[in-house]
Amino acid sequence: MINANLKGSLHALIAPLGAIALTMALGFLLVAAISDEPVLAYRELLFANFDSLSNFALFLNRATPLVLISVGITFAFRAGVFNVGGEGQLFAGAIATTVVGIAFAGLPAVILFPFAVIAGIAAGAAIGWVPGILKVKLGVDEVVVTLMLNTIVLLFTSYLVNQVIRDTTAYGAVSWKLPEHIWLPTIPGIPGATSGFMVAVVLSLLSWVVLFRTHWGAEVRSAGTNLRYAEAVGIAAGNRVITAMLIAGGFAGLAGALYVLGIGHRFEQNFSPEYGLIALTCALLARVNPAASLFTALYYALMLNGAAYMQISTEVPRSLVMLLTGLLVLLMTARLTRKGSNSQTFDAF
Amino acid sequence: MSYESLLASVLEQSTPLVLAALAAMITLRANILNVAVEGMMLVSAFSAIAVGSATGSALAGFSAGIFGAVGTSLVFSIITLRFGAGFIVAGLGINLLAAGGTLFALERWYNSPGGLRPLGFPEMWHVPEGSLSFIPLLGPALEGQSIIVLLTVLAVPACWMFLYRTPTGSYLRAAGEDEHAARSAGINVVRMKVLAVTISGLFSGLAGAQLAMDKLHFFLPNMTAGRGFIGLAATLFGAGHPWVTASAAVLFGFFGALGDRLQAFDIPAQFVLMLPYLVAILALTFSRWRIYVRNKPAKL
Repeated sequence: MINANLKGSLHALIAPLGAIALTMALGFLLVAAISDEPVLAYRELLFANFDSLSNFALFLNRATPLVLISVGITFAFRAGVFNVGGEGQLFAGAIATTVVGIAFAGLPAVILFPFAVIAGIAAGAAIGWVPGILKVKLGVDEVVVTLMLNTIVLLFTSYLVNQVIRDTTAYGAVSWKLPEHIWLPTIPGIPGATSGFMVAVVLSLLSWVVLFRTHWGAEVRSAGTNLRYAEAVGIAAGNRVITAMLIAGGFAGLAGALYVLGIGHRFEQNFSPEYGLIALTCALLARVNPAASLFTALYYALMLNGAAYMQISTEVPRSLVMLLTGLLVLLMTARLTRKGSNSQTFDAF
Repeated sequence: MSYESLLASVLEQSTPLVLAALAAMITLRANILNVAVEGMMLVSAFSAIAVGSATGSALAGFSAGIFGAVGTSLVFSIITLRFGAGFIVAGLGINLLAAGGTLFALERWYNSPGGLRPLGFPEMWHVPEGSLSFIPLLGPALEGQSIIVLLTVLAVPACWMFLYRTPTGSYLRAAGEDEHAARSAGINVVRMKVLAVTISGLFSGLAGAQLAMDKLHFFLPNMTAGRGFIGLAATLFGAGHPWVTASAAVLFGFFGALGDRLQAFDIPAQFVLMLPYLVAILALTFSRWRIYVRNKPAKL
C-alpha cells in the first residue's frame, strides 16, 4: 500500500521533471549555437543566484509573487475554472494597496497596514469574482473573460500611475513611494529579502491542507471534477466555484500587495515579467498541487533572475527564458504515448 | 466624411480582427478553443518584416508571414493531437514561444529589443483604383486597400461555403460536435482537427501580415496586442457562424476606430484602448444571457 503510494508519487514526479530536463537540454543546444561560452551561460543561469547574499535575497523576492499567484491559481483549477487572469488580479491588488497607502499616508501603521493589505486582496478577489460568477451563472467562457480582464486592468493601472499618482520626480511610470512605516520588514539575516516570502511559504502549505484535508476542499475539488454530479449529491457546487475564484483572485491580489509593501515600495507599471502567466505554468508544472507549486515557483524565480546574470556575463539575451518557458509549457502536458488521445482542457491533471 | 471612406477605414481597422476571428472560428467548429491565434499572428508579423526587409520583395515577406504562421500551427497540431497536450495550455505555450522567440531574435540578431524598423520596405500590393467600381458601396471602399483586405472580404463567404456546402466542411463540423459519432461514421477526426488548425494558421498568417506589412512596415514586440483574443471573443459571440462572427469582429474593430476618435475629446487614452475589450466581455455575457433566458424553464 505504502509502496504503491510511493510509486504513484514518483510517477507524478517523472513527467514534470522530464519536461524540465528536456527544455533545459534544448535551451543548452540553443545557447551553444549562439554563444562561445555555453557552460558559463548556464552556470550563471542556474547558480549565480547563490553567489552572494544579495543575489539570494533578490531570488526570494522574485519567488514571492510567483508562489502566491500559483497557489491561488491552484484553487481555481481545482474548482474547474481555467483562470488565466493572474496578471490582472495581481495588478489590481498592487494598485489598490498603493492607492490606499498613498491616500491615507497619515494613518498609523497599525491601521494603515491591514487596510492596505485588505484593499489589495479585495481588489484581486473582485477581479477574480467576475469570471467566476459569469461562468457559474451564465456559462460564459472564463478563458476569454480573464484574458480580456488582464488587458483592461493593466490599462486602468497605467491610467492611474501615469495621470493620478505618478511620482513626478522619478523617471518612468511609477507612483509615489509608500510611507515608510508600512513597509514590510526584511527576513532577519538576509538583507533585502522580503518577509512576504515566509507568508507565501506558510500559505502554500496551508492551502494544501485546506484543499486536500478538509471537507470544504473536497467539495471544491468535486465541483471542479464534475459540477453537475457535485450538485446532484447536494454540494453547493456553484458557490464553491465562485469562492475558489475569490480565493484565486485574493491570492494574486495579496501577491500584488506584498510586492508593493515589501519589494517595490511603490507601484511600477512594468514590475511584472508576466508573473500571471509564469505562475500558471508553475501551477500546472506542480500538477495543481499548492505545496509542489512552492518548488516550481522557486525554480522559475531561479531562471528569471539567472537570465539577467547570464545576459551580463555572456551575450545570451535574457529573453531566452521566455522562449524556454514557452517550450516548457508545450512539453509539460504532452505525453509520450503511442497515440495521443484527444485531451480536454483539464487533462493536464 | 463620405460613406465610402468611413467604410474603408472600418474595413482597414477590422481586417486583422476579422481574420483572427475566422482563425478561431474554424478551430472552434472542430471543438478546439484556439488561444494560439495571438502567437501565430506574432510569428507571421515578425517573419513578414524580417524576410520582406532582407529580400526587398513584398511577395517574399508575405509568403514568409504565411509560412511562419502555418508552421506554428503545425507545431500546435503535433503537440496537441499527436502528443495529447491540452489545447489551452499548448496555445498559451505557443503564445509564450512566439513572444519569447521574436524577442530573442530581435535581441540576438538585430540588436534592438525595442522593435524592427527597416529603413526601406517593399510596398504591399493594393487593389487598383477603379477596378471594383462596378460593385456599389463596397467596391470603392476596397479600392486602394491592401490585397489582404480584399481577401478577408472574400474569406467570410468562402468559410461559409466550406463549412456548410462541402463534404469536408460537414466532416469537420461533425468531428467538432460529436467526436465518437463522427468516428463511427468513418470520419478521420484527428485529420479534421489538423485541417482546422492549419486553416487557422493560414488566417492568422494573413492577419499578421496585414498588421505589419500594410501601413506600418515595422515589427514591435507584442504588436498583436491581444487581437487574437478579441478574435476568439468574436467567435464565441458568433457561436462559430461565419457571418455573425465576422460582424462581431467588425463591431469590435469599429469600437477600436471609435476609440481613436474619442481620444480627441480629452478622454485618457487608456480608457479608449479598453473599449474593445470591455465590449467583448459585455457582448459575450449578453449572448450567453440570451441563451440562458431562452432555455429557462417556464414557471409552473
